[in-house]
Amino acid sequence: MAIHRPCGTFDRTYYEAKAIFRTRLQWGMITALILALYGIAFVMNDYLLGLSIVIFSFIVAMLGIQIITGYAGQITIGHAAFVGVGMYVLACVEAHLGWSWWVGMPLAGIGAGLISMFFGSPSGRLKELYLAFATLAAHFIIVYVISNWESMTGGVDGIWLSRPEPLLGIDFMVEHNYYLLALTLCIAMIYLAKNLARTKLGRAFVAVRDNDIAAEVMGINIFSTKLLAFGIGGFFAGIGGAMYAGYNEYVNVEFFPLMDSIWFLGFLVVGGFGSIFGAICAAVLWKCLDEMATLMTPVFSQILPGLAFYVTASFSLIMYTLIIVIFLVLEPRGINHRWNIIKASYRLHPFAY
Amino acid sequence: MEQIIKLIVLGLCMGGIYALVAVGYVVVYKSTKVFNFAQAAMITVGAYALYQALIVWSLPIWAAVLFTLAVGVALGLLVERLLMRPLIGQPILAPIVVTLGLMLLLRGVILMIFGGQVYGYGEHFLPLGAWHVGFVTLPMIQVYAFIISMVAIFALIQFYNRTRMGLAMRVTHEDHVVAQNLGINVKRVFQYSWVIACVLGVISGMLLGNIQGCCVELDVTGLMAIAAILFGGLESIGGAIVGGLTLGVLQMLTIGYLAPLMPGEPIMMVPFAFMLLILIFKPYGLFGLVRIERL
Amino acid sequence: MTTSIRNITKHREQRYSYGLTLLREEMEKKYPMPKEEDVGKKVVLKGEGINLAFGGLQALMDINFELKEGELLAIIGPNGAGKTCLLNVVSGFYRAQEGEIYYRDRKITHMSSHGIAELGLCRTFQNIALYTGLTVIENLMAARHPHIKYNFLSGMLYFPWASDEEVRQRAICEDIVDFLEMDAVRNHVVGSLAYGLRKRTELGRALALEPRILLLDEPMAGMNRDEKEDMARFILDIYEFLKIPVVLIEHDMGVVMDVADRIMVFDFGKQIAEGTPDEITVNPKVISAYLGTEYAGV
Ligand SMILES: Nc1ncnc2c1ncn2[C@@H]1O[C@H](COP(=O)(O)OP(=O)(O)O)[C@@H](O)[C@H]1O
Ligand SMILES: [Mg+2]
Repeated sequence: MAIHRPCGTFDRTYYEAKAIFRTRLQWGMITALILALYGIAFVMNDYLLGLSIVIFSFIVAMLGIQIITGYAGQITIGHAAFVGVGMYVLACVEAHLGWSWWVGMPLAGIGAGLISMFFGSPSGRLKELYLAFATLAAHFIIVYVISNWESMTGGVDGIWLSRPEPLLGIDFMVEHNYYLLALTLCIAMIYLAKNLARTKLGRAFVAVRDNDIAAEVMGINIFSTKLLAFGIGGFFAGIGGAMYAGYNEYVNVEFFPLMDSIWFLGFLVVGGFGSIFGAICAAVLWKCLDEMATLMTPVFSQILPGLAFYVTASFSLIMYTLIIVIFLVLEPRGINHRWNIIKASYRLHPFAY
Repeated sequence: MEQIIKLIVLGLCMGGIYALVAVGYVVVYKSTKVFNFAQAAMITVGAYALYQALIVWSLPIWAAVLFTLAVGVALGLLVERLLMRPLIGQPILAPIVVTLGLMLLLRGVILMIFGGQVYGYGEHFLPLGAWHVGFVTLPMIQVYAFIISMVAIFALIQFYNRTRMGLAMRVTHEDHVVAQNLGINVKRVFQYSWVIACVLGVISGMLLGNIQGCCVELDVTGLMAIAAILFGGLESIGGAIVGGLTLGVLQMLTIGYLAPLMPGEPIMMVPFAFMLLILIFKPYGLFGLVRIERL
Repeated sequence: MTTSIRNITKHREQRYSYGLTLLREEMEKKYPMPKEEDVGKKVVLKGEGINLAFGGLQALMDINFELKEGELLAIIGPNGAGKTCLLNVVSGFYRAQEGEIYYRDRKITHMSSHGIAELGLCRTFQNIALYTGLTVIENLMAARHPHIKYNFLSGMLYFPWASDEEVRQRAICEDIVDFLEMDAVRNHVVGSLAYGLRKRTELGRALALEPRILLLDEPMAGMNRDEKEDMARFILDIYEFLKIPVVLIEHDMGVVMDVADRIMVFDFGKQIAEGTPDEITVNPKVISAYLGTEYAGV
């Protein structure tokens, strides 16, 4: 399927051909959207702000697994642990070195990137399923280390940390200011990810995903490309973790159970493999559903008093799996593909194709 | 010395169950080329089904076991028909995601029905008590579990080697298309494999539930058994058995010697560390077949 | 074939005005075009005593070959003779148990595959091995990978120079697409293209990698006569315009006899004959390999 563009749009230069937003209308819409997202901060209540901040953090983390699995094709079942490493690097930097969030956040990204690279290094020889095993093992090992290295991580008690220090007179203890910070970071990371995807390294990632042997013979060093994928993906995971931990002001090993690693992978499929938009959709959908499950708790506790906690937990487990399975069966290419079809049919209207 | 022998014997007993779980993974992988992460959850299902029949309904043992096996068969049929068949031919990620999801789905269903408490069978299932052989104390449930696991695996091997269906399954292991062309009903083979795997899963679930108690975290034990498969590669039943036994022994030795030196519960981590090491040094398992790539 | 494809090409007026010029400029910046006196004499690729075995199967047995500057070498032989294996050994995908490979006096036997590709040994594959999820243009851009100069950080931040470099590289790739007459499908995902077009994309991808030697593994397999002629024309155009030596594996004798300067014949991992097309047609060993021993004496 060729890519459909808005009618009457012709490229005169290659600059135009590779632009993300090609027409004025597209530029207008994206500007309006971003402005609206910024503006909305001042009308939302703390609850909604909190939810949005969580969504922003998970969008960034989801971009990470999109890079590792969606673009570079390296299946990982340990992504939540990489996010957790980010949280803990930030927490340790704050707790032990006394540095601020502003230093800790990039360090969290770098730390998670390095750990992710370390556990991704078997990808030089492992593929697909075997790599999935290795990353699964990585998840358990990371969780074990974090929950038992008490002098550093405080063991199962977790660590308290603080919000970013005020910058330019903006106090991030105020919810909507933190929202603005998270939104800005999130947009910046989306921008980075999108550029990564459309430039040299992004193409190398997809080459490795689609045909790694051919990629090697066609001049791409697949081992370093895979390592970079893990490194960059881990970096995104770490930044996402730092955003989340900063908001919560607390971290704990329970924040990244194996379940989350699986949901990262599952919702990635729901959002759409190998697309930035898909990753964003995936994170939004996941966290909104999470919130829905929590909101249902009072309802459940009325119907089934005593069992409400378990019902909530099991409700999300069952619902997510069903959503993922339904998508895999009916639309394996995810929300992103659906959205492209909708756009194409709008542009081609009144013709069917 | 006594200590070592004790640990090895206990490890072998535990390893028997690992072997059973591992064989469950292998059976499905061999015929469908899908790695069934949800095998881990079949264990939990088996454990809870037996609890339901034996304790809640107070059925006699034979009826309770039959009920559990029936649950396994039904689960296998359902999973194959509803989840896996629509995914035939999709890229490798799809079955991985679905089986992982299924693992969580089953966990969710169990949480919904039973809540999060830990249950035990008390003395209603395998006899408690212990035998004393020389200086080694053998808990009876462990020994019985080992024997039952080995019998189940032996039955499976006999099934492969002695029956028509077993033959068809062995053909399918080699090549789906060839099998189809030979007139073998490949879908039926898939169905059988899932059913067998689920039955093996619930059997190991009953045994593990007896030893460790019924809790939703039993599936992590199932995931540990993946380390066992990496001994012989994903396609070798013999490898899975040896791997399971080795894993059990290794785990017991770690508990005996390493655990005091390490913080927390390394017993959980050991199989995974072991798994990672095997993967790093022998990407296709210690004795696995190397996959040939061509251009 | 009555009229030789090669002659048609030679006597046709130059059609290079709209194809490959950017690529050629790019390549000339890096190394000079081969000198006239080297053509047909200077050895650019050499294999010595290559032995390759898979377990008990001897896929290549003591193979020696030389490829000279500006030469079109064809390799023929029945299926399973080991032709593809030889290319795989050259591009470093298989490691020969014995033997050395030299590229312009440089030993490349132990180099990594991507290193060999960066040197300019570019190839196409018998069983199409494209990046199925990318469009035609993106496939070529992905092959430009070693030649794109910015690093990934400036790519992620999209600095102006990265953007300019993208456009420059894109122009080169579009040029190749024009040359291959694939402009209509340039934005199509290759997974959905027809077989012939995919083969052509493979050729384009090898070109985008700036070949100094082009290794083509059955580029015309499974094509009809028109498509074969197209493909032969492309190969000859590349060969003459970029002045690079070409190794061509092909089963179609008509094409091979028409275009090749020299032919090497393989059978069961052994090199059974070598020579000009005319010599090969009368070589008894070749005839026996292809038609059976009873014809060899005739
Ligand atoms: N990776 C491999 N493992 C085992 N045998 C191989 C491998 N690659 C090629 N072969 C064998 O080597 C021989 C030569 O194959 P090939 O070079 O593909 O022949 P062709 O001349 O048709 O291109 C064949 O018998 C093939 O089966
Ligand atoms: Mg071949």
